Amino acid sequence: MTGYILRRMFSTIAVMAMVGIFVFLILRLAPGDPAAMIAGKSATAEMIAGIREKLGLNDPVPVQFIRWVWDMLGGDFGTSIFTGRPVLKLISQRLEPTLSLSILTMMLSVTVGVSFGILAAWRTGGLVDRLLAAFSALGYSVPVFVIGYFLIYLFAIRMHWLPVQGYVPINGGLWPWFVHLILPTVALSVGYIAFIARVTRASILEVLSEDYMRTAAAKGASSYAMLFHHALKNAGVPILTVIGISFAYMIGGVVLTETVFNLPGIGRLVVDAINNRDYPIIQSVLILTSGLYVLINLTVDLAYTLIDPRIRY
Amino acid sequence: MGRLQLSDLPRLARRHPLVLVGGGLLALLIILAVAAPLYAGDPVNMDPFKRLQPSSPEMWFGTDNLGRDVFARTIFGARISLMVGLLSAACAALAGLLIGVIAGFSRGFDNIIMRVMDGLMSLPTILLAIALISLTGPGIGILIVAIAIPETPAVARLVRSVVLSVRERPYVEAALCGGARLPKVLWRHILPSTIPPLMVQAATVCASAILTEAGLSFLGVGVPPEIPSWGNMIASSRLYLAIAPLTIFAPGICLAVTVLAVNLLGDGLRDMFDPRSKRRR
Amino acid sequence: MTITRRSLIKAGMAAGTALSMPSILRAQTSSDDARTVRMVMADLTVYDPLLSTADITSMHGITIYDTLFALDSKLMPQPQMVANWKVSEDKKTYTFELRDGLGFHDGTPVTAADCVASLRRWGQAKAGGKLMMARAKDISKKDDKTFTIALKEPLAILVDTLAEGGLPIMREKDADRPATEQVTSNIGSGPFKFNEALAKPGASFTYDRNENYVPRKEAPDGFAGGKVVKVDRAVWQVISDQQTALAALQAGETDFVWSPPADLYPVIDSDPNLELHVLSKQGTTNCLRMNFLQPPFDNVKARQAMLHLIDQEAFLRVMYPDPRFTQTVTSIFGNSPLYSNDENTGWYKKGGDPERAKQLFQEAGYAGEKLLIFQTTDWPEASNASQLLADTLRKIGVNAELAPMSFGEFTTRRQNKGPVENGGWNIFISDYAGSNPMSTPFLLANGEQAWWGWPKNDEYEALRAKWVDVDTLEARQALARKMQGIWWDFVGGVLLGRVVLPTAHRKALTGLLEVVSGGTEFPMWNMQKASA
Repeated sequence: MTGYILRRMFSTIAVMAMVGIFVFLILRLAPGDPAAMIAGKSATAEMIAGIREKLGLNDPVPVQFIRWVWDMLGGDFGTSIFTGRPVLKLISQRLEPTLSLSILTMMLSVTVGVSFGILAAWRTGGLVDRLLAAFSALGYSVPVFVIGYFLIYLFAIRMHWLPVQGYVPINGGLWPWFVHLILPTVALSVGYIAFIARVTRASILEVLSEDYMRTAAAKGASSYAMLFHHALKNAGVPILTVIGISFAYMIGGVVLTETVFNLPGIGRLVVDAINNRDYPIIQSVLILTSGLYVLINLTVDLAYTLIDPRIRY
Repeated sequence: MGRLQLSDLPRLARRHPLVLVGGGLLALLIILAVAAPLYAGDPVNMDPFKRLQPSSPEMWFGTDNLGRDVFARTIFGARISLMVGLLSAACAALAGLLIGVIAGFSRGFDNIIMRVMDGLMSLPTILLAIALISLTGPGIGILIVAIAIPETPAVARLVRSVVLSVRERPYVEAALCGGARLPKVLWRHILPSTIPPLMVQAATVCASAILTEAGLSFLGVGVPPEIPSWGNMIASSRLYLAIAPLTIFAPGICLAVTVLAVNLLGDGLRDMFDPRSKRRR
Repeated sequence: MTITRRSLIKAGMAAGTALSMPSILRAQTSSDDARTVRMVMADLTVYDPLLSTADITSMHGITIYDTLFALDSKLMPQPQMVANWKVSEDKKTYTFELRDGLGFHDGTPVTAADCVASLRRWGQAKAGGKLMMARAKDISKKDDKTFTIALKEPLAILVDTLAEGGLPIMREKDADRPATEQVTSNIGSGPFKFNEALAKPGASFTYDRNENYVPRKEAPDGFAGGKVVKVDRAVWQVISDQQTALAALQAGETDFVWSPPADLYPVIDSDPNLELHVLSKQGTTNCLRMNFLQPPFDNVKARQAMLHLIDQEAFLRVMYPDPRFTQTVTSIFGNSPLYSNDENTGWYKKGGDPERAKQLFQEAGYAGEKLLIFQTTDWPEASNASQLLADTLRKIGVNAELAPMSFGEFTTRRQNKGPVENGGWNIFISDYAGSNPMSTPFLLANGEQAWWGWPKNDEYEALRAKWVDVDTLEARQALARKMQGIWWDFVGGVLLGRVVLPTAHRKALTGLLEVVSGGTEFPMWNMQKASA
C-alpha cells in the first residue's frame, strides 16, 4: 500500500513536470504580447517597447522558465502582469465561486443521478427507465449555455423567482449565496445527472447479472434487499470513479456556466488571462487544476479499497 | 462473440434500431450538408439594412445581426459542425489507436507514454483547447487539432487495455509462438478486436467534439465568425434571444439533434458489438 | 368544478411560492441601501492611467486622482486643484498655486513637490506631456503650494494640454517611478478612494467616498467645478456577458450599465424603470487603417479607392445598429465644436461609390493579389465591420481575406511591417477618440514613427508641427482646414462613421454629469440614488 502510494506520487511528479513544460511552451509560442495589451489599442510602439523591457519579457525563454519553476518551488506563483497582484491571491479570490458551484452541482447530480439510476435499474424497461433514457439522451446533447439561457429567461426574467446572475460570497449570508447558485447548479447538473444515472444503472445491472445475484434471487432474497444490499454495494466502484472524474473535470469545465451566470470563478480568470496573455495566471491555474485532478484520481483509487475490500494495491 | 462479418451488418442493424435511427439521422444530415450549395442559398452575403428580419417566404428563418440568411447559414453550419466532429473523432481515434497499440506492445515506452497521456488528461479540455488555439488564432484546422488532442488519451487508454487483454489470449500467443511476425499478428488478430470499442469511443468523441466546438465558439475562440457554424451562430446571436429567437433556436435545435444522432449511433453500436451490454445500455 | 381541499392547498402553495420568493430576495438585495451605486463597467486590468490607453483605466484615474485643470462642458480649461495661476510677460514662465484643503487618501497633504513629480512622469508617457517636456527648461516647486513651469519658448496651448485628461496628480514617491512601470498603490487625492481590500480583479472593484475631499465652490460643469460625491460607495461590477448585464439592470441588481449593446436599446426603451443616457458626448470615430508600406496601399490610388468604396451608413449599421446614436463623418476632426470642417470632402457619397472604387483599384495596378484584413474576434464591432469590409471588397472583385484573431494576437501582429506572405497585413479596423492632432495617434503621418499603418506625408506633417504655436483659435481652425485638405488627398486613413454611445441606467439613479471626454469615461461625482 505504502509502496503503491509512493509510486503514484512519483508518477504524479512526472506528470506535473510534463504539464509544466507543455503549458509554458504553448504560452511562449503563442503570438500576443502582454505589454501591448497593457498599453491598449491606441498605444504607440515606443510605449509598448518600454513596458516589455520592464516586465522582463525580453529575457530568453529558458531563463524565464527556470525563473518560474524556481519561484514556484519556493511557493511563489508570481504576480499578475496586469494587476501586479500575487497570482495565488487572485486564484484564492476566485476559488470560492467555482468550488461552491462544483460542490453543489456534485451534491445535486449524485443525489438525483444515483437515485434515478437505481430506480431505472430496479424496473428495467419501465417508465422511469424510459424517462431516464430520454433525459440522458437530451442531457448529453444540449449545450450547457443553451440550458443556462433557457433557465434565466424562464425563472429570472419571466417569473422573477431567482436572481439573473452574480455571486454572493458565503459569508455574505447563506441564503443569498444559495439563491444565486440555484440556476447555475441546475444548468450544470443536467449533463452530470444524465451521466451519473446512466453509469449507476449500467453498473447495477452488471452486478445483477452476476452469478451470485442469481443465487441470491434463487434463495429468495427480496428485490429490495438484492438492490440495496448486494448490487449497490458492488456497483459502488464504477460509480465512485465516475463521481471523482466528474468532479475533477468540473473544476476546469465550469467556464461556460461561469460565463452565462457571471460567476467570478477560476474558469473566467483563465479565459480572461489567456486573452490578456497574462502568463503567470494561466500557468499557475493550469498547473494547479491539473494537480487537483491527479490528486482526486489518487483519492478515488485509494477509496476503492475502503468500498471494495477485494481491491488491493 | 464471433468475428464480425460485413454481411452481418444489415441484420444486426435491424435488431438494433438505435443504430438505424442514429445512423440514418446522421446520414441524412450529412447528405443535407453536402448538398447545401444546391439548395440552401448564400450564407455569407450581407445586407446591413436587413438585419434581424423575421422569417419570410424568401428567408425561411429570417436574417441574423449582419443581415445574412439564417436558413442558409444553418444548413451550411451543418457542414462545419459535422466536419469538426467527424474529423476530430477520426484524428483522436487514429492517434489514440497508434499510441494505444505502441503502449500496449512495448513495455519500455508504455510507462512514459501513459504518463504523458495522464498529463494531457489532467488538463481541462476547454482550457487546453483555448490555449492551443491561441497558438495560431482561430481556424478550423487548429480547432480540430485542439479538440482532438484532449480526447486522444481516453482512446489511447481504451486501445491499450484491449491490446493488453488480447495479447494474453491463447490464439495470439499461439500465433506469436508459431513464428508469425508481429505486424501480421497486429493486423490479423489485434486490430480487429480494437475496432468495435474504438467505433463506440469515436462516436462519443464525435458528439463531445461537436459540443466542444460550440462551447469554444460561444467563448469566442472557436471557428472564425465569418464561417457559419452552429457554435458561433449561437454565440453571435445570443443577444437576440428575445428579438429574433430563430437565430438561436435554428442552430441550437440542429446542434442538439446532431449530437443526439451521434449519441444514439454510439449507443446502438455498443449494444451491437457487446450484446451483454444491451440491457445495461 | 368542485373545489377539493387538495386543489386548494395546491393553489395556495403555488401562490405562496410565487409571492413570497421575490420578497425574500428583495429583502436580501436591498440590504445595501440607497447610498451604494452598483455599476456594470469593464474589467480594470491596468490601474496606472499613464500606462494604458484603455478607457476603463482612464475612468479609474479620473475617479481616484484629482487634476490641476479640467475641461468644462465647452472644452475650455478651468482650474481644479490650482487656486490661481499666472504667466509671465514673455509667455515663458507659468506659476501655479494650489488651493487649500487638498490631501491624499493616506492623509498626507498634496504639495507642489507631488505636482512636479507627477508632471514629470506624465511628461514621459503622454503626447501632451512629451510636448511640454520638449519645450520646458525647468519644472520646479517654489514653496509647498507653488510651482513653476519655465519654457524655452512660449507654448500657447500649455494650459489646455494640462487640462486634457490623463494628468493624474500622484504622491511624489509614486510619481518617481518610470512611466513604463505600473504604480502599485492606488492613492490619489480625488473625490473617491480605491478600496484595496474589496478589489477583486475580474469581478468587482469598490470606490468609497473620500470624506476628507474639499470640493471647489463652483457648480459642476463637465469635468470642471465642484466634485461633490453624494453616495457612500460605488461598486464596479464586471459582467462579461451583455445579455446577463442587461438582465441584471432590469432586475434592479445593478443601477448602471456602461456600454449596453445597441441591439438591446429597444428593451431598455420599453422598460419604464430604465433610460438610455449619453454621458460622454464627444464619442468615438471608427476608422479603417491601411498599411502604407505594402502593396496595394503603398499606392495613393488604392487608398483613394477605399475612400470611395466605404458606405458609412452600412458600416455603422453593423457596428452600432441604432441610428439615433450614430452619424456619418467626413472631417478628420470628428464633431469637434472647434475644428470640425468640410474641406476637401467631395469624395463623400451616400451609399459609397463601388464603381469609382473599382476603377481606382485598376488604376493602382491591382491585379487580384490577396488583401489581408485583420479581424479582432473579441471586439464585436470591429469584427462585424471587418466581415462587412471583406464582403464589400469581394463584391468589386478584390481578393479580400479575413485573418481572425484575438485582440491580444492583433496587438502583436499589427506591428509587422512586412508583406502579407510574411505575416504582415493590409487593413485593420479600429477607432479613436479626440481630435487633437498632437495627441491622437490616428492623425499622425510621420512615416515609421506614426501609428500602425505608418502613413507618411511631409506636407501634412509640416502643417501639424505648427499646431502648438498657433495662438489664436481662428488661426488654428484655418490650419485644421488645410491639414484636412491634404489628408483626404493622400488618404492617411478612412473613416467609417462616428458613434456617441449611450449608457443605460435605472431612472432612480440621477445627477449623472454629461461631459465631453476623450473616450467614453465620465465623472462619478454628483450622482445619487433615489431611495426605492
